Amino acid sequence: MSTMIDDDLRSTFVGLADVLIPAYKTMPPASGASVGGEPLDRILALRDDLREAFLRGVRAAAGEEPATAARKMNEEDPEALATIGLIAAAAYYMDPDVRDLIGYPGQERRPIDPDAPPDYLQNDMLKPVAQRGAIYRPTPT
Amino acid sequence: MGSSDKGGKVADVLIIGAGASGLVAAKHLTMNGFDVVCLEQGQKVDHGTFWGDKPEFDLMTQKLWHPNPNVRDLESDYPIDTSESDVPILMYNAVGGTTILFGAHWQRFMPSDFRVKTLDGVADDWPFTYEDLEPYYDEMDIEVGVSGLGGDPCYPPGKAPPLPPLPLGKIGIKAAEGMNKLGWHWWPAPNSIASRPYEGRDPCTLRGTCRNGCVEGAKASFDLTHLPIALKHGLRLVTGARVREILVNDAGLATGAVYLDRNGRERRQLAQAIIVCCNGVGTPRILLASKSAKFPDGLANSSGLVGKNLMLHPYCAVVGHFDECLDSWLGPAGQPIQSMQFYETDPRRGFVRGAKWHVLPTGGPLGGPPTPGAPFDEAWGEAFHRERERTFGCSFEWGILAEDLPEEANRVELDPTLTDSDGVPSPRIVYNNSENTKRLSTFHLARAKEAMEASGAVDVTVRPPLTDRSQHNTGASLLATGHLMGTCKMGRDPATSVVNEWGQAHDVPNLFIFDGSVFVTSSGFNPTGTICAVALRSVRHLIATRGDQKVAA
Repeated sequence: MSTMIDDDLRSTFVGLADVLIPAYKTMPPASGASVGGEPLDRILALRDDLREAFLRGVRAAAGEEPATAARKMNEEDPEALATIGLIAAAAYYMDPDVRDLIGYPGQERRPIDPDAPPDYLQNDMLKPVAQRGAIYRPTPT
Repeated sequence: MGSSDKGGKVADVLIIGAGASGLVAAKHLTMNGFDVVCLEQGQKVDHGTFWGDKPEFDLMTQKLWHPNPNVRDLESDYPIDTSESDVPILMYNAVGGTTILFGAHWQRFMPSDFRVKTLDGVADDWPFTYEDLEPYYDEMDIEVGVSGLGGDPCYPPGKAPPLPPLPLGKIGIKAAEGMNKLGWHWWPAPNSIASRPYEGRDPCTLRGTCRNGCVEGAKASFDLTHLPIALKHGLRLVTGARVREILVNDAGLATGAVYLDRNGRERRQLAQAIIVCCNGVGTPRILLASKSAKFPDGLANSSGLVGKNLMLHPYCAVVGHFDECLDSWLGPAGQPIQSMQFYETDPRRGFVRGAKWHVLPTGGPLGGPPTPGAPFDEAWGEAFHRERERTFGCSFEWGILAEDLPEEANRVELDPTLTDSDGVPSPRIVYNNSENTKRLSTFHLARAKEAMEASGAVDVTVRPPLTDRSQHNTGASLLATGHLMGTCKMGRDPATSVVNEWGQAHDVPNLFIFDGSVFVTSSGFNPTGTICAVALRSVRHLIATRGDQKVAA
């Protein structure tokens, strides 16, 4: 069976993804982050181990009302639904606009100044710990 | 020993395994003129292939860079049967070993850890003391570049780490505030992560991806810290070399090893002495597979203890959620602060020994993979967003590293059917959490919850030790440590231990073990700092006694 993702499968995936990740407050639904486009291809290229369960799930849901199909899949093929959910969530949180909305810059580079005096030494935060003294049992003689 | 020609067929020393202890040995032996061959089943890792600086990072940590070899399923990994183990097994098979993926919590044991029998009446004492090991701890701090703050009152006075501590960050400060309210111990934690440029390594930038490969090269991966020096001094490193068996002669001395290369060819490497450094699972696997007429139960196993006394540090945690942004995707990860408030035994608690606590960031919004079959309305729809609001960016973890005691029933065996891709028998793990571990975990989880509440957490998630064995090989099995210890115990009595205090096998005088297998007890600390200090002590002894070393003719 073909492992290509045609337009119908993409459409089914996006329908399911919008059930799993709907619009909420200021957040867009999954389709608002274009999860069915290039992100889907990128994820399946990187994680080929997800492809089989993904295809099984979207094929089973094809032509069905997405909300009904998603709940049914969670009962009958939970691995497929979890895989579709993982792909949808991964694509969603890789989207730059979604990251902006939740305040996530990614695993960003934030260089440090090792010579800056630590706050906990400036404000004596560590002092009571040191003042309480040793908490180890010494080597018995 | 130590006189063979460079490049000759028989090496002075064969090291099996290019992880932390193997590369400590390789560095010091080659610097002292030994001809050393190191066989490593994995490959050299291109640090440019790490995902920490890319949007796909979270996704890739669930598979290709997952610490569980059963999840990664790479050819360089061997499958491990953990169906009879409460705790999954984590490790990385490559040049640098698990230091490629470790969190770089660079800990020393406390003095009591070496005297558990004397002080607490359980397990055994080590054949040396904290004070005996301290100079080697000091040296290793410099070799790996430890960042930290001296004066921690959980240790005897000693030398400060060579580099300033990494920042506590918002999560470290928040945790420390709670500990101060309770009057409990905390201290800026030691990490083998450079806080300033060090020995060719760039400094940490708090990217927080330490446990899936450090993009900056700030972390002390041993392929960065030790391998280059060993290669410069003539180390012959053979990658993709999967050892099947250690060979012995009629006199009971080790003569070399049989390994399979990546073309499926069987090869032999002969040596005057052999050091096994394959971790607490891989080392007993090779010894048990090395059966002969002289050693019918496996090599160096006259005590019957090879593979026994496996200790894994059952892990548990409390995650606190706060009503303010704590930038909790930032590193170090690594650990900003630690606590040994409840480390030492208190008989009133109903268990012996204790645990180290450490603060950890909670990472990006994706987290682990969804749990198949989770109630739909708790996982998806608006619940998906509400969970992100509750947890992302505003949480941190108090991780609890529980000391587990040695028990012979907890063990590594050879699986009767499972093999790696070369047909070498795989290990099977039998491990049950003890009653002491259960009581210890319950107590510590309750105290960590108090600490979180003192810090102002509005919600707390308690994560007890794993017991659902069906979850071991999913991408979710991160509630584990990869600390693999005790399966070739060190001691003075050949009837009750496998190696002596120098890592030399009682049964085979030119066979040595330098990895965590030799641990007598596990302590409640991340073990790599102690593995390396013990390995350094052992290799120094081997170098000093080279003239007396018995070798195969």
